[in-house]
Amino acid sequence: MSPARRRLLPWLDARDAAGFLGGLAALAALPLVLDVYAHNLLTVAFLAIAGALAWNWIGGFAGQVSFGHAAFFGLGGFVSARLLLAGALPPPLAWLAGAVAAGAFALGAHPTLRLRGPYFSIATIGLGEATRVVFTYWDRFTGGASGLSLPVEAGEKYRLYWWALGLLALAVGASCAIRRSALGLKLLAIKSDVDAAADCGVSPALHQDVALVLSAAVVGASGGLYASYFSFIEPTDLLGFDRSISFVLMAVIGGVGTILGPALGAIVFVLVRQYLLGSYPQLYLGLYGALLIVIILFEPLGLWGLGLRAVRRLHRRRDPALAGEGRT
Amino acid sequence: MQRLVDMAVSAVLLAGLYATMAYGLGLIYGVLRIVNLAHAGVLMAGAYLGFVLHRRLGLDPYLSIPLVLAVTFGFGVLLYRGLVRHLPRGAAGGPQSLLLLFGVWLVLRNGAYLIFSGNDHVIRTSYSTRAVEVLGGFVSLNRVAVFVVALVPVVLQLVLSRTYAGKAVRAVAQNASSCTLVGIDVERVYAITFGVGTALAGLAGLLSATLFSFNPSFGTGELLKSFVVVVLGGLGSIVGTSLAALLLAVVEVFAILVLPAYLTSAVGFIVLVVVLVLRPGGLFGQRVLG
Amino acid sequence: MTLLQAEGLVRRFGGLAAVDGVDLALTEGEILGVIGPNGAGKSTLFALMAGSLPPTRGRVLLAGQQVSGLPAHRVVAAGIARTHQIVRPFVHLTVRENVLVAALAGARRTGQPARALAEEVVAEVGLVERAGDLPAALTLAGRKRLELARALATAPRVLLLDEVIAGVNPAEARQLAALIGALRARRRLSIILIEHVMPAVMSLSDRVAVLDHGRKIAEGRPAEVARDPRVVEAYLGTGAAAESP
Repeated sequence: MSPARRRLLPWLDARDAAGFLGGLAALAALPLVLDVYAHNLLTVAFLAIAGALAWNWIGGFAGQVSFGHAAFFGLGGFVSARLLLAGALPPPLAWLAGAVAAGAFALGAHPTLRLRGPYFSIATIGLGEATRVVFTYWDRFTGGASGLSLPVEAGEKYRLYWWALGLLALAVGASCAIRRSALGLKLLAIKSDVDAAADCGVSPALHQDVALVLSAAVVGASGGLYASYFSFIEPTDLLGFDRSISFVLMAVIGGVGTILGPALGAIVFVLVRQYLLGSYPQLYLGLYGALLIVIILFEPLGLWGLGLRAVRRLHRRRDPALAGEGRT
Repeated sequence: MQRLVDMAVSAVLLAGLYATMAYGLGLIYGVLRIVNLAHAGVLMAGAYLGFVLHRRLGLDPYLSIPLVLAVTFGFGVLLYRGLVRHLPRGAAGGPQSLLLLFGVWLVLRNGAYLIFSGNDHVIRTSYSTRAVEVLGGFVSLNRVAVFVVALVPVVLQLVLSRTYAGKAVRAVAQNASSCTLVGIDVERVYAITFGVGTALAGLAGLLSATLFSFNPSFGTGELLKSFVVVVLGGLGSIVGTSLAALLLAVVEVFAILVLPAYLTSAVGFIVLVVVLVLRPGGLFGQRVLG
Repeated sequence: MTLLQAEGLVRRFGGLAAVDGVDLALTEGEILGVIGPNGAGKSTLFALMAGSLPPTRGRVLLAGQQVSGLPAHRVVAAGIARTHQIVRPFVHLTVRENVLVAALAGARRTGQPARALAEEVVAEVGLVERAGDLPAALTLAGRKRLELARALATAPRVLLLDEVIAGVNPAEARQLAALIGALRARRRLSIILIEHVMPAVMSLSDRVAVLDHGRKIAEGRPAEVARDPRVVEAYLGTGAAAESP
């Protein structure tokens, strides 16, 4: 049992807070030494990490694996883009509107949360696909197959780095807060045994709704930022099954159910895609499929779990007297 | 009026295909309590397999059925023995099996893409364009043939369920641990069931390939429809599955009368959600809400 | 004062009536034992009272307020808690966290902070040394104590115990029985317990009700019920009553 640490908030202790702020400051200052290519890559990575962490709230904490999160991503992206095109709101508020729209949509998806396990997952495949179909043909809103083009402002893409970092910070903070709070505890109880959770006074519907809405909102915001970053979006990219798959892959490979595991998965995902994209464009999905199989069979906690095992082995080597005890 | 008859005939023929697609998924879920997401991949593989046999060896798709069945059966058994079996038993119903099989699907998809590229294909035979007259309307010969083939698993199921093997499978589905006490090799039943499930998926894919065009992404929509049929029809009920397939096909075909064309592909999903929300037990009562 | 009242409870599954018109009344502060042969409908009865299942007919009243038909988590908020015949711990959480989840509901009922309530309950059931373990590391007896702890942590007025004692060794069984008795006194609980371990039921219960085929066939003091010929027959078959001493 680790020694008592100073707690600033019930879910936040001084050491974690210091680490978080330090990391944040470092990342914020990083562009001073980065070239444009790395700068942009990081921006995209921040968005991916935020999305993966948010997916994990419903997929990992609540145990409801969603294969349809692209619907939230696309909704956020298109709502935000439309508002920007109409000049109705400044970008940050447009992104927020995208988040709100996605969150509202998640509320509408409430009935699916009553489903368990594989039934929920398949329902989300359907939800994602149905949304994609509707958006593809609703060309007055989405521009159909030809998509939407956003006006490019000088330096805006460069500044997106810090907005994306802000979203990332929010997602990281929320992940810790949720996991260590009563909500996180209840979600894990629901994940373990829904009926027993209800018998302990936990309302499965309410808490799953909260997790899904929060998840959708953050993913929707990342969609909005994505739209502003690329200045061009179209339905197949934002709402396609491949997009939904990417959330699942990032979270599971990184470590589904852990607090920060999905971040690792997102980083790997973005890097691999970047480098494979040139040489073997379509190979990476199959690669991830194989990786997924290996992870499920050997290390269900993904890269995070592997990391923990390595750290524990190091500790045992340093102090052989230590019984290798402790939970992940 | 003739139009309605034509649509009804169309729906019945389509139902045969949907039922075949659903049997495999339903069988695996009914016995192993696993949702086989690789079902979509095997559907696609069956289609490509038939395509290759037709293109390279000139083998008529209906003649290649035994071969496709054998290959996909073998694949299913290997898949079970090699991967699925190692999942902790309690997790069989959980996200782990889902994700594992999803990974297999991705690999299959990517494999097909590498070998065949992403272009659309279809199996066209010399009789593809021939039509027969059914109830006053003309229907493609292919569709009728697909329907006839789809009836075979139904008949087989009714016959096999009376045999010892059939009963063993049902026993395992109901209470696997007790089966070991009466000498039933549960693992063997699981492996064979999984193989039969994938074989049926391969068959359905092959049949689909003669009717519709396909590419490596083929399977998502069909997976959804299979799932709708399985949920609607209830587990272990061949009659239920067939009726559910008919219902789905009818809704889809007649939806064109009321919905814009592009939404008809979303019909299956709408039906699924409506049924799951209103009648959580499916039409014939099984627990989907846990 | 009658705290929990079941009136004409019926629950059908398809054509089968698992519970077929049961009336039950629990007086505040008493321990009511429910016994009966396998398949008599005892666990179904609990499910109806705890909100896990809605009744086909009939209703359940807690201190005069209807609780039947409410979702399970609301029944807990009203003050009825249950354990499960086959233990269902939260496998992803430690023992302490398991109890804490339930204590969150209990905290709302009593105003006591959840963590303190959870620690108290963990100590009360004797799981302090195992508090940081996952349920998988516990023995069956430990897991039964965990079930009990979770139910207690919701700060109930009525506790429904479903075969808490069955399945553990005699020494453990005696400890659990003693614990239940102590809890009733310390926490002023009213308890209904389903049990197959006869010595425990008969010594703990103030009154006993006997179910068979979904119906109540006898009710009264433990000694009376044990002698009731109908009860003997239900357990041992027709004609057995004539042969018993």
